[in-house]
Amino acid sequence: MPPRTPTLIQLLGLLVTLAAVGSFSVFTLRQVEQLRRLGSDIVDRNRRDSLQLIRIQDDVAQIGLALRDMAEGAEPYPLEAYRPQFQRLREDLENALALEARLMPATRTAAQQRLLETVFSRFWSVVDELWQLASEGKPEAAHALIRTRIEAERATLATLISRLLIQNNEAEAAAVEEIQAIHSRVERSLYFLLAAVLAAILITGSLVIWHDRRMFAQVSHLSQQRKELAGRIIRVQEDLFRTLARELHDEFGQVLTAVGMMLLRVEKRLPEGAPGREDLREVREIANQTLDRVRGMSQMLHPPVLDDYGLERSIEWYLGQFEKQTGLRVHYEKSGVAPWIGDSVAIHMYRILQESLNNVVRHARVAEAWVRVRYRPEKMEMEIEDHGVGLPDRPQESGLGMIGMRERAELLGGRIEFQRRSGGGTVVRVEAPLGVKGGKG
Amino acid sequence: MLRREFLSGLGGLIAAPAFAQQKPGFRFTDVTRAAGIHFLHNSGAFGRKYLPETMGSGCAFFDYDGDGWQDILLINAMDWPGHRRRRATLKLYRNNRNGAFTDVTRAAGLDVEMYGLGVAIADYDNDGHPDIFVSCLGQSRLFHNTGRGTFVDVTRSSGLWGHHGFSTSAMWFDYDRDGLLDLFVTNYVRWTQDGDIFCSFDGNSKAYCTPEAYRGVTCWLFRNRGDGTFEDVTAKAGVLDTTSKSLGVTLLDFNNDGWPDVFVANDTQPNKLYTNLRNGRFLEQAVRIGLAFSEDGRARAGMGVDAADVDNSGLVSIIVTNFDNEMMGLYRGTRDGQFVDRAPQSGIGQATRHSLGFGCFFFDPDLDGMLDLLIVNGHIDESISRARRNVTHAQPPHLFMNDGHGNFRDFSRLAGDSFAAPKVARGAAYGDFDNDGDLDVLITTNNGPAYLFRNDLDNGHRSVRLRLIGTKSNRDAIGAVVKFEASGLAGSRTVKSATGYLSQSELPVTIGLGRRDALRRVTVFWPSGRIEEFKNLKAGNRLVIEEGKGLRPDRA
Repeated sequence: MPPRTPTLIQLLGLLVTLAAVGSFSVFTLRQVEQLRRLGSDIVDRNRRDSLQLIRIQDDVAQIGLALRDMAEGAEPYPLEAYRPQFQRLREDLENALALEARLMPATRTAAQQRLLETVFSRFWSVVDELWQLASEGKPEAAHALIRTRIEAERATLATLISRLLIQNNEAEAAAVEEIQAIHSRVERSLYFLLAAVLAAILITGSLVIWHDRRMFAQVSHLSQQRKELAGRIIRVQEDLFRTLARELHDEFGQVLTAVGMMLLRVEKRLPEGAPGREDLREVREIANQTLDRVRGMSQMLHPPVLDDYGLERSIEWYLGQFEKQTGLRVHYEKSGVAPWIGDSVAIHMYRILQESLNNVVRHARVAEAWVRVRYRPEKMEMEIEDHGVGLPDRPQESGLGMIGMRERAELLGGRIEFQRRSGGGTVVRVEAPLGVKGGKG
Repeated sequence: MLRREFLSGLGGLIAAPAFAQQKPGFRFTDVTRAAGIHFLHNSGAFGRKYLPETMGSGCAFFDYDGDGWQDILLINAMDWPGHRRRRATLKLYRNNRNGAFTDVTRAAGLDVEMYGLGVAIADYDNDGHPDIFVSCLGQSRLFHNTGRGTFVDVTRSSGLWGHHGFSTSAMWFDYDRDGLLDLFVTNYVRWTQDGDIFCSFDGNSKAYCTPEAYRGVTCWLFRNRGDGTFEDVTAKAGVLDTTSKSLGVTLLDFNNDGWPDVFVANDTQPNKLYTNLRNGRFLEQAVRIGLAFSEDGRARAGMGVDAADVDNSGLVSIIVTNFDNEMMGLYRGTRDGQFVDRAPQSGIGQATRHSLGFGCFFFDPDLDGMLDLLIVNGHIDESISRARRNVTHAQPPHLFMNDGHGNFRDFSRLAGDSFAAPKVARGAAYGDFDNDGDLDVLITTNNGPAYLFRNDLDNGHRSVRLRLIGTKSNRDAIGAVVKFEASGLAGSRTVKSATGYLSQSELPVTIGLGRRDALRRVTVFWPSGRIEEFKNLKAGNRLVIEEGKGLRPDRA
């Protein structure tokens, strides 16, 4: 079954998240818009209007105090002396009223506004009457006017302004309540959003994790299979080599030996100088050479020394053979006491040595190599070093040989390293556990 | 506290590049004791916390005996009726001309008990001898200088009798330009011992009320008839305003028309600017020209006030000291006759946020030709620290040095330990009592001592000091404007009565020259309209300019 990709799930999670964020944003923007409207249209305007109303209230109170001073005769000045003070208050009031009319909140009715204007104009016309009486030198009438009509009109004004202020306060309180409701709505939806996003993250995340775990298991299973396969291939190869080597040695070796003996016998029966004796000798030489080649091939495919004498001796034997065949000088160092190493460890270590030295011959372009073997109770270590041109820059150029060495090291349950020497050349370092039977073979 | 320090530090950082010097160039040395001044203000406080107790009192530098050496007057209040403990009077200290003073109160006939608050001194009868007006709770007093070292109480005969108030600052000036000095008196609120209101921070113990608790009262304007009597022209001149709660007054000519205008600082009420209409009447237009309120449109607690050509531009700037939690106001005149509060930008605003300022004045203590600014502070209630953290009863003064570009920086801490120490300060005045050419400072405290600080200049700066004598103009030349020019320096100074809060500084004009050798030109614009010009006035000189009679060295 091909593994299902988690892309679909992730996309779905993303979509859910985006949808949640999107719908929340739209909702919040709407609410914020409403808040802004409430804030600027009602609360701010109301407050600014209230400030003007308070200013008006303050002016009306100042007028009240001045009227009291005038009525009580608190200052030794004629009533007309208060006129500039009243003029200033009137200017301030008119300024404040004009501002107030511009800021007038929606809760104000046209009738209320008309009433405000009427009461003010009535008040100022009575005050004008006062100045008239004062300038005509009728202080008693003027005082009477203050005590009766002016004070009454002022009181009406004060009450009206207070009522408007209360109305503003009530409108503001209502707006504040509405604002609080919006805040709680937004808060609630924020919680929903958080929950949705968290759920989406949780579901998508767990699905991805589950999928990853499955993939990992599959990969490791595949890797195991591959390893087993590689081991089996190598074992099959070794078995084949061993069989071939035995066949070559036992069958063809026997036949060729017999052919050689028979030819020698025939040759001996012919007199010296007889025709054909020289030919026979040549044929026997060929047979002997073929026998040597067959034996050499057999040994190369699977040295019998490995089975008969173990790895330690096989290495020594092989190095001698190798030097003879290739002319390459090999410096061999051995340390530690070698136990009997046969079976798969021996064949794989032997093959790694063989491959490494063949690589030196093929690629290193040098005349010397070093082989160091260390035996320890629990493992053996082997180093093959040359001072040649070194490993190729790109590992794929190292070819199948190195892959095979790695496979073998893995089959042994050991390690292999290919290192570049700093002064040029290569060191192959391989380690194989002993005692514990490595690999399967 | 941290925030305040941070902000003031920030203010310092911003203002820093403008101030090349890191020292003020002078120190104020406390010479109170050495000068023989042993004054203790008696507010009469006995626990009932009557509002007037926390308001006083003022002080003055003036030359009462005409010897060319500035004498000192310290105003005093007294015990309340029914709570008499000790006799307290104002004190007149005569200058011994050797750095010390002699208490001559009794000999001068000023040994009179009254609930004094402020003082305004001028030669109202043009006889050559300065007379004293003491503003009081109740009946204020006018003392006429006989010229023989004594004073006579002429309150009754002068026509000022019968005006009872809570009179605070007062100012002599010639509003109708008839050569006779008229008197402007500010009144605070309608307060009587019987009508005292209970105010409190905590609901239990009484505290001094803020003026919101009381009704306002009008200021008074008295016209000098020239025969030793005064006419109450408050109503006639259009000055009557019963909404005002006034504490400070200053003379200025904000529209440069040669007619004196009046600025009144009001506590919790809009400030007033009375524009002289040149016909004996005034038109109030503080709101219209931007002086009534703070920049955010609130009436602040105006206390002291002073006006001067601070940036030597010919345009007047006005300082108004306010309550703590309010910045002081530094209103600067603009070319179109408006005022803008530049306190926040100038470095004064943030620095004064936690100060409750009273006395204030522009003067030039370092004689660099730029007017600097002294503000003395102190809260009204000794229990304030219990009600509000960060606010103390005694507060240090501010000494704002002017960098010449409209920026100020507080150098008070560098000007002397005793000077910079927190005080419950009220009045303040400047004057050159030792005739060394620089300006010394007098500070009064509420229910405490007065302080005399001698200016010890170490920057090598010199000045020209000018005493103006009017002939056609009032003899004290109050209202005269002195314009001056030197190399790289030009400006103007006005001869004025009232200074800051309840106080009066010396009348001679001191023009700081820095290291320059001379004033190239001085032009005097006399209140009479006469204009006189003088050239090449050498630094280090004390000179008299008499209207129409030219220039001569000052004697003594």
